[in-house]
Amino acid sequence: MDSGLDSGLDSGSTEVYETDVELLKRAWRQEKAAPEILQFESALVRRIVEQIQLMEETVEEFTESGIDPLTVSLYQMDLDRTQFLLRSYYRIRLQKIEKYMFHIRDNAESRLSDKEKVFVERCCADLQTHLERSVLLQLPSTYQSVFRQSSEKETDMVPRPHLDTFVVCKTKYYLGHIQLEDNADGESDSSASQRPLDEPFEMEPNVLYFVRYKAVKKFVDEGKIDLY
Amino acid sequence: MYGTNAIQLVKEIANGEKGQLTAFSSNLFKDVIAECSQHYEDLQKSLRKMQEAGIDFQTQNEDHYGFLIHHLSLLRNKRCLMTYMHSRAEMLRNLIWKVGYEIPEEIEEKLNHTEKEYFKKHSEALRSYMSRVELHLDMDMVPPKDPYIKVRVLDDMGEVQLPSFNTANFAQHSMHFLKRTDAEKYISLGKMEELTG
Repeated sequence: MDSGLDSGLDSGSTEVYETDVELLKRAWRQEKAAPEILQFESALVRRIVEQIQLMEETVEEFTESGIDPLTVSLYQMDLDRTQFLLRSYYRIRLQKIEKYMFHIRDNAESRLSDKEKVFVERCCADLQTHLERSVLLQLPSTYQSVFRQSSEKETDMVPRPHLDTFVVCKTKYYLGHIQLEDNADGESDSSASQRPLDEPFEMEPNVLYFVRYKAVKKFVDEGKIDLY
Repeated sequence: MYGTNAIQLVKEIANGEKGQLTAFSSNLFKDVIAECSQHYEDLQKSLRKMQEAGIDFQTQNEDHYGFLIHHLSLLRNKRCLMTYMHSRAEMLRNLIWKVGYEIPEEIEEKLNHTEKEYFKKHSEALRSYMSRVELHLDMDMVPPKDPYIKVRVLDDMGEVQLPSFNTANFAQHSMHFLKRTDAEKYISLGKMEELTG
């Protein structure tokens, strides 16, 4: 699929990607590799959907007008691949939403598309009803919260993505001063046993690194790092 | 001993084959719930005793620790119960992606009442989401290599209307060269197999 160069990248990235399909592939790869849900690429998805429709029309026209079947099947293949990418992109996001619904609803709702927002609300309501009916309503009243163990504490029963997992990543830029272990936020797993690395970490362009997602999260959000 | 029943529930999940639902342990589950109520009663008792004796709750006497033990046991039981239900709910959700929106009978037997309800509700939520985005997200599960694939029919289906407006006769053991998108549904249902190589 060839559509002109993309101008929709608002992340301040100077990188020029060739086609929307390649952009989608990148977005899909990022989503697949990142442990948490990323910003929904609404503009990109909209363009892709339009292009898919266009392609479908083209293929149909070709089939009807009896153009060389090989040509048609090449177009079809291209179309299939794009559709796979789009479906898979949606699917990965959906499965992340299913897995961390409460966390996403309360902390990352701005990253979802409108339809995903509706979905996450519904998911949470359904699961909450299910858990309440099967377990919580049978417990003493002060122990009935889905999110907290008992009445007084803060939310401590909501599954969250493990931002401490390792990701393979590469950058096109030179990035300095990456703090590998920030012990400032204590919300992640008890990784206290790890020896903190005091020295800031630097990333050279086009070198593959294997680091904790948490350390490079900021750059992933800014679009400066590609996950693999 | 406190908490032994609850850990059985968690062990059931941990020792079970990954993603394989086991029958809902309703007896064990009830026992744990009953244990929770017992803990709560005992906990109230300790609390009352301290109040009646006019002792400040911060005083670290035997009732204070009795209260704590029951409170913490209750919390632990709650965590175990929730882990059990939550993990099963997750398996159920994954099941929808594998087998579709209808619960197979042999699995339905293993669920308790609210789980069946939840399966239906979540299927409904997924379906409504997919119709909103106007995409069938439950097909195309593996990256396509070729628009056409060779398949063998495993289950006699007779004359079938395909989404691409062709009809085909899917007699058992017959082999076909189909559009991948047409065949995928049957493959996931186990009615066809893809022939490779």
